[in-house]
Amino acid sequence: VAAALTPAAARAQAATVLYDDRVISVERTLADPNDLWIPPADLQRVNGFVLGPRGACLKDDCTPVPQGDSKLRVTRGGQTWFNVTELARQIGQVFVADYDRGVWSFGEVPAARQDFVQGVMAPDFELPNREGKPVKLSDFRGKKVLIITWASW
Amino acid sequence: VYDTLKGQNFELITVAQDMLGEKATAQWHDRAKLTYTTLIDVHHRVSSLYNLVNVPAGVWVNEQGQIRRINHGTFSPAYPNTAYNGAGYAAALTDWVKNSDRSPFIWSADEVRAHIRRRTDDQALSVPTFKLGLYFFGKGDETLARQYWEQAQKLDPDNWSFHRQDWNLTEGLAGPKFNEKRKGIGNEPYYEPLGLPAARPPN
Repeated sequence: VAAALTPAAARAQAATVLYDDRVISVERTLADPNDLWIPPADLQRVNGFVLGPRGACLKDDCTPVPQGDSKLRVTRGGQTWFNVTELARQIGQVFVADYDRGVWSFGEVPAARQDFVQGVMAPDFELPNREGKPVKLSDFRGKKVLIITWASW
Repeated sequence: VYDTLKGQNFELITVAQDMLGEKATAQWHDRAKLTYTTLIDVHHRVSSLYNLVNVPAGVWVNEQGQIRRINHGTFSPAYPNTAYNGAGYAAALTDWVKNSDRSPFIWSADEVRAHIRRRTDDQALSVPTFKLGLYFFGKGDETLARQYWEQAQKLDPDNWSFHRQDWNLTEGLAGPKFNEKRKGIGNEPYYEPLGLPAARPPN
């Protein structure tokens, strides 16, 4: 109990997740030097996965989650935790962490990218225009679109 | 070109990829009287999503949301900075808007697939690493941001956007560093060729 009260351990309790260009705060995590364990209720907010009878699913892509304690899920003192980093390893999603500051940055979910790399569908995105109004690529479905990226540098 | 095409079920979207956002791009936007859609992309979101590693890039998306052509960071060798305003590209674009899938300038799905950059594990990891740097930059920790950007550059040395965004932060560094790295690749093409057919076939 004393160890859990040290500043380092206290800092490790909250985490920040960067995914899909969003910043997601997680209030409580299970202390672990290598992995990010979050309350299952936070999973969808963090990476879009939904827990159900078929496991952790992103749309129809499901990763089975065994009953009882496993690499993906443990129960400690009545609280259940889900291992987001282990899920990432199993689905080939890369991530990098700044452990000292509790910031975890996740890459793309490969299965969610097949429509693009195999199906050559244009990934949708939403970005603000100069007035700050959000505009989606899919707002222009039914038109031909030329997207030009540029930079002032 | 846009003015003649906009009535023909066509939209031009420009995406300003700059983490400094409107601050960095306003002077460019103000200079042109813009009637098309101009978006600000502080996270380099479009480049991450489309696996692009340089600017400018041009992507053709048809009515169903399918990619019909994807050119990475291409300048015309003869007219730097103007490839996408150049006569060849404009003519190709006009032809596509008019003739849709009958245009000789569109690519087959196989050709598009071949032009989508596949990321190795390291290259894939470079993206969240770069974003980690962006996050700390946003928090005001430029030193830490730089560490992650340098790490991202090591993971994907071919990603010019990572380098150029980083150098751009330091006054006077962008030009010399750019030329240095540009020289480092010798005769390798810095940008991919546009790959337009040499002559338009007769209609």
